[in-house]
Amino acid sequence: MRRQLALWGVLGVLALCGAARLQAHHSFAMFDTTNRITLTGTVTQFQWTNPHAYIELDVPDGANPPKHWTVELGSTSILQQGGWKFTDVKPKQTITVVISPLRSGQPAGLLFRITLADGRVLSNGPGPAGGQP
Amino acid sequence: MSGRLACVALAATLLAAPLAAQQAPPDLSGAWAPYRGGRGADPKFAAPPATPILLKGTYKTSWDERRAAEDAATKRGEPLATPAVDCIPYGMPRMMSVALYPLEIIQRPTQVTMVTEAFSEVRRVFMNQPQMPIDEVPPGYYGHSVGRWEGDTLVVDTVGIKTTIPAYQMIPHSDQMRITERIRLVASDYLHDQITIEDPIALEKPLTYTLAYRRMPNYKMVEFVCENNREYVDSNGAVRLRLGQ
Repeated sequence: MRRQLALWGVLGVLALCGAARLQAHHSFAMFDTTNRITLTGTVTQFQWTNPHAYIELDVPDGANPPKHWTVELGSTSILQQGGWKFTDVKPKQTITVVISPLRSGQPAGLLFRITLADGRVLSNGPGPAGGQP
Repeated sequence: MSGRLACVALAATLLAAPLAAQQAPPDLSGAWAPYRGGRGADPKFAAPPATPILLKGTYKTSWDERRAAEDAATKRGEPLATPAVDCIPYGMPRMMSVALYPLEIIQRPTQVTMVTEAFSEVRRVFMNQPQMPIDEVPPGYYGHSVGRWEGDTLVVDTVGIKTTIPAYQMIPHSDQMRITERIRLVASDYLHDQITIEDPIALEKPLTYTLAYRRMPNYKMVEFVCENNREYVDSNGAVRLRLGQ
């Protein structure tokens, strides 16, 4: 049992080391993935595109016009693997997103989790969507 | 005694060789997802560890420098650009496993075609043909690949990869790089591609690593056209994001 646990530990470390150099379209280091913020707003555009999909979102902040945010998603391939459809988000819908913001402070971030207008919750690709922000 | 053993071994080999040759090769056709192990994964099907990367001289220096710069930039939150940021495909051998993107294999007796979902890259492996001399292959992203079956293993030999295309773990390589793949089913739904990179100019020793895949039954490959690339490289070489309105 102990040996088995040790094996899993080693595999876990290997998996993490591998993950650090896992290649993707880009490194996600421009986003502060240790930080998550929640935004509720009105969709102005949903771009079902590659290499990434984007949601453009107007978020009321008391000012007029409201503050505009850009939300980066995975690619359409990765989103489909996570149960997304190209029709899941539409302009004028109200949605809530949890994002990791850009480190630069500009109003944009990488999607972690979304609550769609119909109440369904999806994450940014395959994997559980229920984690706490 | 040892002479007798040798006879038995020889007889076994002679018997086995025609049998292996007669056996129909396994059908690898279909979509395959990278299988990286981790939580819930079966370690039996995970890839074995890679051998160390032992680069020579200036190849080592440039790779070490790149990694140090990359680590520092990533810590600053300003990741260094790779060709993929400009939507340039990966090429061989990195295309063989990109994040969670599937790989499709289309197997015919005369050609095995591999299509990746990320960037829709295509490789053609010409079966049972002699390899061309390296210096006669026009350098490219996929080079020239020839394949043959050794029993249940598809052995693929690739040369002619452009030196501007980083190899495994972004290592630099010379125009003499040769990639040998041994592709086989380790179980009915798990595939391993054992990749050996030889490069007498850039590498002290050949290096070998293995990629594991899991079958995706009935999966329909998704198109991938890089039409909305909002990332760009700034004057410091860092990746930035173009914001929408």
